[in-house]
Amino acid sequence: MSMLSVRDLHVSYGGIKALRGVSLDVEQGEIVTIIGANGAGKSTLLNTVSGFLKPVSGSVHFKGQAVGRNPTKIVKSGICHVPEGRLIFANLSVEDNLRLGAYLRNDRKEIAADFDRVWNLFPRLLERRKQLSGTLSGGEQQMLAMGRALMTDGDFVLLDEPSLGLAPLLVKTVFDIIVEFRGLGKTILLVEQNAFKALKVADRAYVLEQGRVVKEGKASDIASDPAVKAAYLGAKSEAGG
Amino acid sequence: MNQFLQQLVNGLSIGSIYALMAVGYSLVYSIMNFSNFAHGSVIMLGAYFGFFALTLLGLPFALAFFVAASGTALFAVALERLAYKPLRDRKAPFLYFIITAMGASIFIDNSVIATIGPTPKTFPQASLPSFLRSGSVEIGSLNVGRVDIAMFVITAICLAALVLFIDKTKMGKAIQATAYNMKASALMGINPGFVIILVFAIGGALAGVAGVLYGMKYQVYPQMSSITMKSFIAAVFGGLGSLPGALLGSVLLALIETFVSGYVSTQLRDLFAFGILIAMLVIRPQGIMGKSMEDKA
Repeated sequence: MSMLSVRDLHVSYGGIKALRGVSLDVEQGEIVTIIGANGAGKSTLLNTVSGFLKPVSGSVHFKGQAVGRNPTKIVKSGICHVPEGRLIFANLSVEDNLRLGAYLRNDRKEIAADFDRVWNLFPRLLERRKQLSGTLSGGEQQMLAMGRALMTDGDFVLLDEPSLGLAPLLVKTVFDIIVEFRGLGKTILLVEQNAFKALKVADRAYVLEQGRVVKEGKASDIASDPAVKAAYLGAKSEAGG
Repeated sequence: MNQFLQQLVNGLSIGSIYALMAVGYSLVYSIMNFSNFAHGSVIMLGAYFGFFALTLLGLPFALAFFVAASGTALFAVALERLAYKPLRDRKAPFLYFIITAMGASIFIDNSVIATIGPTPKTFPQASLPSFLRSGSVEIGSLNVGRVDIAMFVITAICLAALVLFIDKTKMGKAIQATAYNMKASALMGINPGFVIILVFAIGGALAGVAGVLYGMKYQVYPQMSSITMKSFIAAVFGGLGSLPGALLGSVLLALIETFVSGYVSTQLRDLFAFGILIAMLVIRPQGIMGKSMEDKA
């Protein structure tokens, strides 16, 4: 049984159909990426999986359980969503942001160990731990959002456009960290506009067009698919991503 | 100089009570983005709870305070569940919340008039501990009312406790996180419904304390809630949704009021208070320390 199983999902925003029958599976330990143009429904899919949007029909099952709409239960079940735009708490310090990541946890020792893990992964954050997180640069904010995700101790991480708006060097760091996450035993569902990079780190991929899955398969196969190359990889692959 | 100091002391005393009321408006606004105009009625109920706890039940003073604060905390949470939660569930526009709040306020005030009656009640001196009975204490050349000192001290303790709670505890941080961004805090597993109950309970408890103090200094009557409009002005002045803003706005507004009363004219006091509100809304709508509109988007 898959860790995440999405079946025939239809989601609408006030009459506009954002998803029209999406089915998708993620197995434990995988990195799965969803690529597609703006408005294809990628973020809608992630927001439905993490309980923010109510599907019109279809189902989302995580570890065999239907995903409800109670944030506490969803996070406890192990789903951890790093949203587009990061949504860090700019009014709080770096350390407080990370502490809130561990909001539902009571295992003090493990939390301390996870703090060390985050400081090791992101030494920049350790330097700035007392700083208001709103004063961080875009790249540092993305690090903080990913660090905060690590603190939730969820084993299934949804990443929505983690490299959006970052300088090339930082984009590389973000993808390195995605690989590190997998090393820590996390399963990852990655939505990316940087399809070239996403297909490189992912095991499998889905191509979303206008709310439908038009292609799915091994990431390497999708990357070499002529139609995908033309639509999503053309300019990017030449520029090196 | 003496008059100046006297006005300063009066201003601080009134400002502290405004602050106690204003934080209730601010806490709810910070999470739900609407001004809970029923808050004034909750303050009025607190005054009645305290009054009856002392006179009818004959409880000791400290216990009466506790009863009033718990009563209003429960009442505020019940109001949220009955009046606002159905609107939240329907994702109603914020205007509906304000209208509902006003309706609730009218309903509560008139229920009190219909059941308890419109006659103002005065806390019997005998029911108060000696340090709270009327009369004043001479500090240097100043005459400071005992009630004013008690108001200032009790308010300062409550507000200090609130600030510590918001700044130092996990739940306090959860409130701040939810105020900043409800979606992001839900992603951390923080249940928005829980945070909403929490802010109504805290605001309600402080409203109870404020109501009792205000009733002790003046009187207890059903239209008290309209007086609390001043604390709403203070909250807007300081910046709705900001706790330090509510405190600062309250003290500033009260000082301006007492100095206008003392040096210009008592009749012009409210003119200045509402004038400040209008000027603030024109020049800096987010208040002194409020979140800017972009931040809330």
